[in-house]
Amino acid sequence: MAEIRIENVSKVFGDHVAVDNANLTIHDKEFLVLLGPSGCGKTTLLRAIAGLGMADAGTITIGDRDVTYLRPGERKISMVFQSYAIFPHMTVRENIGFGLKMNGSGADEIKKNVDEAAELLHIEQLLDRRPSDMSGGQRQRVAVARALAMKAEVLLMDEPLSNLDALLRLEMRAELKRLLQDVGATTIYVTHDQIEALSMGDRIAVMRDGVIQQCDEPSTVYADPSNRFVGGFIGNPPMNFLDGLVRADGDEVRVSVGGNDIAPAPHMASALAGFDGRPITVGIRAENMKAMTGQADGSVPVTVQVVEPLGSQNLLTVDVGENRLKVSTHPTFDVSAGDTLWVQFPPDQIRWIDPATEEVVSSGETTVGA
Amino acid sequence: MAVITPRKKKRSLTPYLLIAPAVLFLAAFFAWPMVQGLILAVYDDEAVLPLVAEASIEADRTGELPQGAAVAILGQQGNTIDGELTSDLLTEQWFRVTGTDPDGADVDGWAPETRIRVRDEASDGTPIGGTVRPVLGENADPLTPIRSEPTERADVIAQLEQRAPVEIAEVTVLEVWFNVSAVDEDGQAIEGWAPSRFIRAFENGEEGRVDRGTDGQFTSRFVEKMLDDRFFGPAWRTTLLLMVLIIPIQFVLAIVMALVIHARPKGTSGFLYVFSLPMGMSDLAVGILFFSIFTSNGLLNSILDLFGLIGDNPPTYLGADTRGWIIAAIVLAELWRATSIVMVIVVSGLQAIPDETLEAAELFGASYWQRVRYIMLPLLKPSLQVALILRTILAFQVFAVVIALGGGEIVTVLANETYRQYFELRDNNVASAYAVFILLLSLASSVFYLRAMRSQNEVAES
Repeated sequence: MAEIRIENVSKVFGDHVAVDNANLTIHDKEFLVLLGPSGCGKTTLLRAIAGLGMADAGTITIGDRDVTYLRPGERKISMVFQSYAIFPHMTVRENIGFGLKMNGSGADEIKKNVDEAAELLHIEQLLDRRPSDMSGGQRQRVAVARALAMKAEVLLMDEPLSNLDALLRLEMRAELKRLLQDVGATTIYVTHDQIEALSMGDRIAVMRDGVIQQCDEPSTVYADPSNRFVGGFIGNPPMNFLDGLVRADGDEVRVSVGGNDIAPAPHMASALAGFDGRPITVGIRAENMKAMTGQADGSVPVTVQVVEPLGSQNLLTVDVGENRLKVSTHPTFDVSAGDTLWVQFPPDQIRWIDPATEEVVSSGETTVGA
Repeated sequence: MAVITPRKKKRSLTPYLLIAPAVLFLAAFFAWPMVQGLILAVYDDEAVLPLVAEASIEADRTGELPQGAAVAILGQQGNTIDGELTSDLLTEQWFRVTGTDPDGADVDGWAPETRIRVRDEASDGTPIGGTVRPVLGENADPLTPIRSEPTERADVIAQLEQRAPVEIAEVTVLEVWFNVSAVDEDGQAIEGWAPSRFIRAFENGEEGRVDRGTDGQFTSRFVEKMLDDRFFGPAWRTTLLLMVLIIPIQFVLAIVMALVIHARPKGTSGFLYVFSLPMGMSDLAVGILFFSIFTSNGLLNSILDLFGLIGDNPPTYLGADTRGWIIAAIVLAELWRATSIVMVIVVSGLQAIPDETLEAAELFGASYWQRVRYIMLPLLKPSLQVALILRTILAFQVFAVVIALGGGEIVTVLANETYRQYFELRDNNVASAYAVFILLLSLASSVFYLRAMRSQNEVAES
């Protein structure tokens, strides 16, 4: 059992609060991705878990062991570093076996584990070479193999793919996912790449300015962001945000966007009624809107500014009143800049965001509709 | 398949122009003096004295004699001086005299200063009158020959009686040449003339030896002289002893100091500056500082006295019979003075190790000592190599501290012998031989370190 519990953990550097009261539980054998822009504190949190920078407040528990004050070597964890941190003066075999040698394993056991780890990463032929004459991708594999050879229950990864070129990254992403499923270690994976996070993680914890914004399954984080930041950070293109004005008339709640009325989903009506007469932010993803050449029920007229054919889709940049948004259409959808289109906003795809708090307005019901 | 030959890159002149000043600088200030020094040690530019058939530099050579060869002096003669009159010329004055011979005829001719005693001088010191010197010996010709030219080879045009008064009309200065015979290096008996300045005549005037030559020759003479020097052995052994004593202690100290600075424990932020302070002191100043500690009325004895550990006669540490103490004082002074430069190199080497590498080692369970042993020391290898080369070269040159603490007699080192040969014995060549010896030792040790400590990568690649 290697459940990791992070309770009220904070870390400060001088005046700067890098991690602010983080609470997170990573289940046994779960793959959790810590996602956030650079400087958000995700690496600091990971290092606190690793013991490379002690948390200034809070406790960290692995399984039933409180590791808050333990040295990194005593935490029974393994880690892949961003720079790989391979020992340049050792052969690949010595690198992979280093942790085992340090914890006093016998030569036979070291050899067995090293060979196993090398086989998993397909680097058996590199074992007697030195890192200096290896490519970035090979070094990366050595770093992962070194971490896996420890057979630790907890595996920490600090942006392991960020130093690889795009194609290699794509390849390693899938391979790492498969590998980590097989290994079954509790994994915390730090990245700033939302695609990596969405594609690999069992759950994603999104961080910003040292605060964990949301921790959910990838589909939930994508579809139901907890606030404007998460919606804007995840997804390519990010979620569209439009300025709207709420008008409640009894049970009938309408939101005016660029002079057009949009009707919210029925279960949101009561929550939105409280915003009567106040502005609200309408959040909707590009692929959730429907663009049409003709007017339909509840559609809003827009002017096409830019058309970007992306192969699998055509991405349109359109103006609705003062708002600019991106709409995804089928690649065969024939439109050119300057055309006028009608766009439908499916009510259940709209996320309503309080402009004051930037939090997504919940329906007030127990389950959030998706 | 077409054979593709790599395209020739067009040579650009710019880099060559850019490095030209550096190359000129190196040639003028490094290569040239170094070559000159080397030449001094192995080339004797006064090794060979050529003998010529007549007392003239234009005459044919009859043979060559090495410096120091014994010669028999068969005769001498004055000779017109070619070129400038220099102080090391052995000269002979000839006077043009006028007088009356025993037959009453007027005489006007030349006689050497050995035959004329000057008795009258003009106000500016120019001889104007004198007498013919008496001829000693029973069988000697009592008459003095007067010649047509100021040289022994000129015709005798008249003779003068001894003590005959003469007027001196003209004075000329001649260089003396010796007619010598000797056995040359090949065992051949040779005879010929040489200017007197190159031959030291013994008191009897019949024997002498070649003082110095005019032609150069490569020689091992200076090197042999250095090897035979009574101070060579002690100097060389002491230099090596100091090196063997100092360098290992120094490296252990420097690595420990560097690790302390690198680990940054609380309250050690000033250590780097304290540690590097001795670097700012000249080695002579450090020598004098340690002299003031170890001298019999120095700091060490004062402290011992304070605790009543010594009696009325304070022990002498830097005396003629305390070689061990002097060596110990030198070792201490050198450790104090030169450890910091090693430390600075090691610190910079430590800083070049990425933090993540050390963190990775820590994370994979390496204790601090294991990190030092398995990560830091191996990665410090290039830095240690640089420091080791630097320190070894400097150890061969150790000088001022030794002089300050040991005076250079009881404890002597190679650099001190270079100094002694140059300044006290005025022997540039042997001094150069010492300097070249130090250079070769430095070179050899550098090559040794570079080969012995080649990093594993290079070994793997080669």
